[in-house]
Amino acid sequence: MQMAEKQLVYLYCVTEEEPKLREVECLVDSLYSVHHKGLYGVTGDVEDSEFGEENLKRNLVDLEWVRAKATTHEKVIEGIMKDTCVIPFKFGTLFNTNDGLKAMLEVYGEEFKTILGELKNKQEWGVKIYCDIQRLKSGIADRQPEILEVENEIKSASVGKAYFLKKKKAELMEQAVNKKINQYGRESFALLKDLSSAARINKLLPKEVTEKEDDMILNSAFLVDSDSVLDFVGLANSLKTQYEDAGFSVDCTGPWPPYNFCGLPKARGRNG
Amino acid sequence: MDNIGVKSGDVTLLEVLDRVLDKGVIIAGDIVISVADVDLIYLGLKVLLSSVETMERLRGAPFPSPMQEAT
Repeated sequence: MQMAEKQLVYLYCVTEEEPKLREVECLVDSLYSVHHKGLYGVTGDVEDSEFGEENLKRNLVDLEWVRAKATTHEKVIEGIMKDTCVIPFKFGTLFNTNDGLKAMLEVYGEEFKTILGELKNKQEWGVKIYCDIQRLKSGIADRQPEILEVENEIKSASVGKAYFLKKKKAELMEQAVNKKINQYGRESFALLKDLSSAARINKLLPKEVTEKEDDMILNSAFLVDSDSVLDFVGLANSLKTQYEDAGFSVDCTGPWPPYNFCGLPKARGRNG
Repeated sequence: MDNIGVKSGDVTLLEVLDRVLDKGVIIAGDIVISVADVDLIYLGLKVLLSSVETMERLRGAPFPSPMQEAT
């Protein structure tokens, strides 16, 4: 007898209201919800040959596979999020059977309900700030008296002395650049945080990932009340124009599923 | 008016790595992509990259400690 291909259960998100799947069904081969004690898991069947532990590790090295699957993950959750509050799960959360998923909902159900209650009428927004370092530098060079002073000294210095003065100038410049970046990042974050109910700072990502010319100087996420979203976006817009000439640019995106704000009170692994 | 806040149709590689693969509830599946597994993605990415120090930079803290938020 031929064995059917083994299937796994892929979990996208958890909701408290019954999720409306119709609009996102077209994104994947299989999509359904699993109900357990007042919570719904939005799930779909996937092939073990693609998502089984070993096969998954092989596929994760394939960037195009990751990009396509992660995009689907995101789109499914965004679709569900239009109608109801969601707890987004990390890409690639898999169960062997629906019973496994129900057992997880049994264990964490109350915590999920608490989190969903806290997320009600709130949206996650992301703000990333980038800096054109060269542009920032040229702005600083004209204005910093210490740097101008060293520049003048260099003009009349001997070759040997000029070497050290140039080194000193580079150091002063780096300090000034770091100071400006810190100051601007800090100020912007503080202002945006004031309009949010929660805020996170995430690790900076390199240019290869951001696909931008400028360096990322702030990677942050905010949980914003629906009523405050206009103000929040307005503030991001004003930050964007305020320091544009100095070389800073602000990317504000949203609303996102609350990836950054659905942590369980106590981090508990499946072995914990 | 700036189109700030508007997301384009496709999810960028940046958002894939920053949100979908890095955040979200990460518990209790029978299989879940772990932090070590996410490094595999960067390994895949590194094929496309020339930068050797990427992994190191990715692990680096964005700001000196006063900037870090505990909340």
